[in-house]
Amino acid sequence: MSLKFKYRIILSALAILLSATVLVSGNTKVAYADVPYETYSYNFWGDDVLQPHAYLYSKTISSKDFKKALSYPQDMFYFEDALYIADTNNSRILKLSLEGQVLMEITCADGAEDLLNKPQGVFVNTDGNIYVADTDNSRIVEYSPEGRFLRKIGRPESDLITDTQEYKPTKVVVDKAGRIYAIAYGINMGLVEFNHNGEFQGFMGAAKVSIRAFDYIWKNYFSTKEQRARMQTFVPTEYSSIFVDNENFIFATISNLSEEDYMEGADTVRRLNPTGTDILRRLGNYPIIGDLYSTADSNWSVFSDIYATDYGCYFILDSAGGKIFAYDYDGNNLFCFGKTGSREGTVQNPSALTLSDNHDKIFVLDSIQGNILTFDITEYGKHLLMAMKTNYIGDSETATREWQEVLKANANYELAYIGLGKAYLKNGEYKKAMDYFKLGNSRKYYTKAFYYYRKMVMEENFGKIMTFIIITAVLILIFVWIKRIRRWVGEVRCSMSKH
Amino acid sequence: MQYVKTLKYVFHVIFRPFDGFWDLKREHRGSLPAAWTFVVLTIITLTVEKQNTGFLFNFNRLENVNVVVDIVTVLLLYILWCVANWCLTSLMDGEGKLRDIMIATGYALFPIVLIRLPLVFFSHLITASEGSFYYMFGMISYLWAGILLLLGTMVTHQYTFKKTLLTCICTMIGMGIILFIGLLFFSVIQQMITFAETIYKEVRFR
Repeated sequence: MSLKFKYRIILSALAILLSATVLVSGNTKVAYADVPYETYSYNFWGDDVLQPHAYLYSKTISSKDFKKALSYPQDMFYFEDALYIADTNNSRILKLSLEGQVLMEITCADGAEDLLNKPQGVFVNTDGNIYVADTDNSRIVEYSPEGRFLRKIGRPESDLITDTQEYKPTKVVVDKAGRIYAIAYGINMGLVEFNHNGEFQGFMGAAKVSIRAFDYIWKNYFSTKEQRARMQTFVPTEYSSIFVDNENFIFATISNLSEEDYMEGADTVRRLNPTGTDILRRLGNYPIIGDLYSTADSNWSVFSDIYATDYGCYFILDSAGGKIFAYDYDGNNLFCFGKTGSREGTVQNPSALTLSDNHDKIFVLDSIQGNILTFDITEYGKHLLMAMKTNYIGDSETATREWQEVLKANANYELAYIGLGKAYLKNGEYKKAMDYFKLGNSRKYYTKAFYYYRKMVMEENFGKIMTFIIITAVLILIFVWIKRIRRWVGEVRCSMSKH
Repeated sequence: MQYVKTLKYVFHVIFRPFDGFWDLKREHRGSLPAAWTFVVLTIITLTVEKQNTGFLFNFNRLENVNVVVDIVTVLLLYILWCVANWCLTSLMDGEGKLRDIMIATGYALFPIVLIRLPLVFFSHLITASEGSFYYMFGMISYLWAGILLLLGTMVTHQYTFKKTLLTCICTMIGMGIILFIGLLFFSVIQQMITFAETIYKEVRFR
């Protein structure tokens, strides 16, 4: 074998190796670049920091394959491996399998003549009973799991609602006690509440009207009649969607906000307890308003649907940006992904979102395209949600492990550092905890860790510190005394020399 | 050794300002180099503070900390104050010369160095709940310097207290005016340069 030949073999082997690596790396890159959106979250400084995808787009259930395509569907609910969809403009409720087969279709209420009219909301309770907000018929209809009509709850009869006032229920939820809550178009006194018999109970969780003194004075004393007519009236905000969580608290989103509201970080999400008080925790660095800035190509987030997990995390759908924002129990932004557009994996006007029971699938309903987009959780997302979950139930050991996994994939994740810092704080490794809280930019926890660390150092070195203080004090005293004595000696000498 | 002596005199000035400022001017106990030293020390203090304050009290983003900004702010404010004060007091029959004003102002800055520099060290030893002390001392340093500035002006120009207050307010307005005129001048010059440049280009390419 000649040397030249050997050389050639080595060269060709090298070439193959090189091309193989290029191919492999190229392949992975393509797979990643295929995702039409970015996943990011906001850090302590308010910068949007890219992070690994928590959910990846997997497939679209297109309604073009149905007998009748979806037309402007407004709500979607996941229950036992099936999706319930309020197909608003077709005036029907659909039950779909996750593969996109129509399992059931509901078009009428009490008898074949009593048709649904543009229903905008659908809800399924734990027994499988289906509740429909039959919007244009001003009623809520309940069906059995098989789709049999059970009852209808009409317009609430109360002095609180005048006869001329509009009442159009758009969203409905039922809590475990059977209480029915509905958002109704035309009612701005909060959620409409019915008891389990369908009797009107009152309004709940009215959004407070807040008027700034300046606005009030400007409007009432300095504006002309024409100007006043063009100004917005100070009315309470209406809710855009509701979700009842496993603790029977109601998550509600608010969408009609002004530029100033966003700038001031007004409420966009509330968690209402049964008395209607907002108990949502807002301990994050920034208010829960979705994107923190609006730019030329991205507007303020408009929240149109919400889904809450049973461990305090919640997902909010931003219909303006086509994004999904995830927040933790404390109101920290976990991640955000999604995009509007016409590419596969993007949405045009999303109206509803729901998650599968184990939260490894997100379904987004696109009202314009009539599609349902499915997003699958990634390993990273699994670790992240598991960390949140175990942290919530108090299993800090698993949480620590999960946070470490999260950090492996995303070394820029402040929440993971804080999570690990908490674990070290609990274990008494104060110095380490301090380092992690510093990385996580959490001064609130840093000061706690630092307090214990300082105490520990003080106790360990008490002897040294006290010796140091005493010695310095003695030295200073001696110095002062020497000075005094010298001065005194000087004075004595002086007086002696005078005499 | 004269320089060191004038440096040391600052402790007399900040604790006994009436006597101290009087002697600065009339007994020549202070010097311009010493005053400038204090200005430089102030700049150093602010920079060190931004970079080395403990995590709990440091809300500066380290990658955005810029020494030049500190230098420019302190120097600019110092020079502006001195010039505006001098312009004004020479009209309002103040007795101080520009040199006296510069010395008095420089010496008046010293409490900032004296308090805030040790604070940087102590910020590493205290928790957030003890932070009120930190913020209080920080406030005191500025208040002290402010009062010294006021008294310095008063003693240097032999004013009554009321007149001093008025002068100080007017000085600040004067600083604003100088800044405004400076910016105006800057932008006019810039436009003139662009104008000349355009003409040159037009002529050249013709």
